[in-house]
Amino acid sequence: MKGLRQVIAIELLLIVRDPMSAFFALAFPPLLLWVKLRGDEPLPGGLPEIDATVPMLSVFVIGQAALVVLPATLAQYRERRILKRLQATPASSALVFGAQWFAHLLLAAIGTVLLIALGFAVFDLSAPANVAAVLLAWFLGALSLGAIGLLIGALVPNARAATVIGLSLFFPMVFVSGAMIPREVTSESMRAVGDLTPMAPVVETIRDAWAGNALSPLTLSLMAAIALVAGCAAVRTFRW
Amino acid sequence: MTVIEIESLTKSYQANRAVHGLSLRVEQGEIFGIAGPNGAGKTTVVECASGLRRPDGGTVRVLGLDPRTQRRELLQRIGAQLQEAALPDALRVGEALRMYAALYDRPADWRVLLDDWGLADKKRASFGSLSGGWKQRLFIALALVGNPEVVFLDELTTGLDPIARRTTWGLIRELRDRGVTVVLVTHFMDEAEALCDRIAIVDHGRVIAEDTPAALIAKQHSDSLEDAFFALTGRTLS
Ligand SMILES: Nc1ncnc2c1ncn2[C@@H]1O[C@H](COP(=O)(O)OP(=O)(O)OP(=O)(O)O)[C@@H](O)[C@H]1O
Ligand SMILES: [Mg+2]
Repeated sequence: MKGLRQVIAIELLLIVRDPMSAFFALAFPPLLLWVKLRGDEPLPGGLPEIDATVPMLSVFVIGQAALVVLPATLAQYRERRILKRLQATPASSALVFGAQWFAHLLLAAIGTVLLIALGFAVFDLSAPANVAAVLLAWFLGALSLGAIGLLIGALVPNARAATVIGLSLFFPMVFVSGAMIPREVTSESMRAVGDLTPMAPVVETIRDAWAGNALSPLTLSLMAAIALVAGCAAVRTFRW
Repeated sequence: MTVIEIESLTKSYQANRAVHGLSLRVEQGEIFGIAGPNGAGKTTVVECASGLRRPDGGTVRVLGLDPRTQRRELLQRIGAQLQEAALPDALRVGEALRMYAALYDRPADWRVLLDDWGLADKKRASFGSLSGGWKQRLFIALALVGNPEVVFLDELTTGLDPIARRTTWGLIRELRDRGVTVVLVTHFMDEAEALCDRIAIVDHGRVIAEDTPAALIAKQHSDSLEDAFFALTGRTLS
């Protein structure tokens, strides 16, 4: 336990020391929020745009940390034989995965808090209707996307490939799943494609939870299932 | 007491037979050297014994444990300095030692290791900013941070300046005097001669000679261990 805590703390420190990942996970989403919300017309359906955008961009933050930063870190650790050095200690592969996942989840959590703070301070964001539901949805989203990130990190040959794969999953996904553009204004065909991505259930539940709509048990179980399957596959394919 | 028993170890990488039919025994509290030409299989042996690679055949026992099936238990009790390894560039020396200490059940005091290995001034230096020799010292310290009963040191003093080498020898002897078993891979015959209680010369994946430095020299009618090494491996300077 003490080992896990130490590794997580160090991992988080290293992420924050890397200016690029810190910028993209922490500074970029607030920047997007500011750029996107210059006009203030409500969305079709009447929801103020800010109340959709903050939950949406929180998924952007999770995706950035889980699908882009995490796999690149893991692959770089393998390529540079940093994992090899860890393999010669009692650290298990589960500890390495756990620490990577938790550190990147914390990064995403900090990014989300920044977004929310900015929303309240500048944009008149409404408070979430159901805080517990938002936390649950956010956590399940981080779990499922994080597990996919771990799987990418376990499979790719090197850090460059990890970055290419991570970005080419992340960018199309944030557009079609409604993490960048509200689902209310995207075309039906785009929504149909978006619904096939693992990001769509995350966007849907976090937005529902924020607005106070009941969460669909099916969507929640879907996220849990993705986390379980991708997580198990990652553990099985992991190489030091 | 025998601490390491390797019997007919074989290990291939695809078609390349790195180790075949290698046997050796290391007794508790000795400094055991492994020397041999590049590509002889030394690193492979060390990695099989420390649970980093699965042998294809043969038996390996370290502290009575099988590295294949009792890896976790074994790794609590051994330490390794690897020939090829790294740490994240932004990680600082003190942070690395603190983190690695936390991975063991009964770690050594990492602050003492910091002093012992002359790293105290570098505590806040990042790994990426260290020169080769300082990285090497940090890796030796990391090998010892778990308070191991057996340490594997692959190319112990490669990259160290002459003063650091001598200091390192002294610290390795101190370790042995505390009862720690040391297995060291080295290309420096003066180091092997000065430091090792016994040496195995490995070539083409086998042990071709195993004895005390004095006996190896005497048997080859050589003047030094280096000459004995040339005689044994059939390598001449050309
Ligand atoms: N990961 C690997 N994949 C393929 N072949 C390998 C690998 N590691 C080692 N080998 C091969 O196995 C043989 C033994 O290598 P090993 O690293 O054990 O030698 P060594 O005695 O430690 O050499 P050196 O003195 O150069 O460190 C060599 O022929 C090497 O090319
Ligand atoms: Mg070697």
